[in-house]
Amino acid sequence: MPNNNEDTTQEVTPGQAQLDSSITQKINYLQTLQSALHDHDDRQIYELIDKTRYEREVKKSRSTTKTQELADLVADDHEQLSHYLSEKLIDYLGQTYPFFYYDEVKDGEFDIYFGNWWDRRKFGKLDVLNVAFKFDETEYNKLKRAFELDALNQRYNTENIADITANSAELQKLIEGQDERDHEKEKLRQQLKEVSQKSTLPWDSGKVKEERQGIVDQLSKLADDDEEAINANKKIKENDEKILSLSKEDTILTYEKQSIQQKFEDFSHFESHNQSLYTDYLTNLIGKGQVKADD
Amino acid sequence: MINENDPSTLSTSGRLLSYNNAVKEGLKTGQQFTELMDQLINTKDPKKLVEAAQTLSVFELDSDYVTFPHQYNNADYYLIFMSRLLELHDQGEAITLESHEDDQHLTQQIAALGDLGVFAFVGANDSNGGVYYQDRVTNETLFYLNLSRRMMRFNSSAITKLFVETYADKIEKDQLLTATDLLIAFGQALKTDFGFDVDFNLLDTNNNEFYEFATSNLGSEVVDKLFVAAAQENYMLKHDKDGAVLELAPDLTLKIASHNANGGAAWGLYVTDKDQSVSWFKVLLEYPFLRKWYLENIGDLQIRSDSLVF
Repeated sequence: MPNNNEDTTQEVTPGQAQLDSSITQKINYLQTLQSALHDHDDRQIYELIDKTRYEREVKKSRSTTKTQELADLVADDHEQLSHYLSEKLIDYLGQTYPFFYYDEVKDGEFDIYFGNWWDRRKFGKLDVLNVAFKFDETEYNKLKRAFELDALNQRYNTENIADITANSAELQKLIEGQDERDHEKEKLRQQLKEVSQKSTLPWDSGKVKEERQGIVDQLSKLADDDEEAINANKKIKENDEKILSLSKEDTILTYEKQSIQQKFEDFSHFESHNQSLYTDYLTNLIGKGQVKADD
Repeated sequence: MINENDPSTLSTSGRLLSYNNAVKEGLKTGQQFTELMDQLINTKDPKKLVEAAQTLSVFELDSDYVTFPHQYNNADYYLIFMSRLLELHDQGEAITLESHEDDQHLTQQIAALGDLGVFAFVGANDSNGGVYYQDRVTNETLFYLNLSRRMMRFNSSAITKLFVETYADKIEKDQLLTATDLLIAFGQALKTDFGFDVDFNLLDTNNNEFYEFATSNLGSEVVDKLFVAAAQENYMLKHDKDGAVLELAPDLTLKIASHNANGGAAWGLYVTDKDQSVSWFKVLLEYPFLRKWYLENIGDLQIRSDSLVF
């Protein structure tokens, strides 16, 4: 009998054994992932899709298990995975960051909006799989600057608005000075006429010429001012539009700043919270898992 | 042949008879007129009141043989009608009707407005008997009224000019509200007593009233202006699926929307409060920053009135 067996059973080569183990490992991986999905065990899923980070940042262990290849098995499922994981994550974020709103622009991809006020800013994206905010750099830096300026009792566009306002005031003066300029021009033209009519004695001609040039120069300066005054209303209107958009930006930044201050007191706390988001969230999931297990 | 219309064919007694008949007819018309006046002035029945007003508004008192030197204008009967209808609704005290004997016409004053505003009806020249209720001082027409078509339309532009701009710094807000409440009461009476179709426009307090802006394409900078102005007064203009929302008080919200109540594309406002007692007009009187915003952008924001009559 043993002989018969020897005939039918091939000997397992080391290569086959390795292959077998590798497949088993993959099957195990996928099965674990699947049951985690069935059990809504998001913590387990996060651990499976990035074991290295999980070990390092949650378990605080230095072991560097090579598991990336396994995680690659579901690389083409990331959109759906992200969509699935977003639900609990966004719930959690709602408590710490009540001022962020998310718009799923396509499966698993989320835009972040800051606030619920008029024309709130698109502030970046939410990276669900990595539990991280990817803030729009320009918008983020504006907010950061707004916090810095707050210490000086200034708003982001205070200086800018002051400059434009001053410019408008100049332009307004120019418009209001029209009558005075007209009067002045009339006087100068009269003078010019008088100078021209003066009998020009040879020895006076240089002086007369000079006098005449002086009047012409003044007239041309006034003509320039007139020209500018004609366009002034349009410019003032443009300035008003600029001021409006800058004031709006200041208002938005103020709302953003207040939102952060209410929750984090200052910007640095906000930043440090963002940095430890992954650890905080997974720790929170572990806590919830324990509560569940205790039930 | 005797032709009654051709006096030359008649004998003297025939002519006298014909003359007498014509005078009788004229007197009968006059008699009819005084009966209608009695009815207009005395009746307690709203149906009879509107009937008299309607007949008098097109009544021709003069005939070839009988003319009356002292006559009111046809539109004046609307004023009597308005005063009487308000009287039947216990608001008679709120207006005074004045008769100007020298040139025989009537005007009306709204008690709450004091000396501001002298009102009268003027024909709308729209060939179907419509009249405008007009302030003689500014010539602003507050509403259009048509008894035969049973309709009334308020004019948002005139209400804004008179009550929000011209009168606002001359009398107390409460007085302004009393005055507009009176006009609303008149419209309500027309609605409930005679089934009129009334557009209260910006005076309407219903939550589902859509106050439609003049512009059909509201520029975002207009909303930006409100956003900034509201923030300065510590109100936050909030993002909304269909536009923007401003919570003015725990139970009072103003919504800027890009759809009317039937879902059609249009820009306008909704004012929502639990008791449905607040109109856009009241909001304008109550909140200076909204009034400023509305008036500064009136070209875009003017609430539309019925374009058939305004």
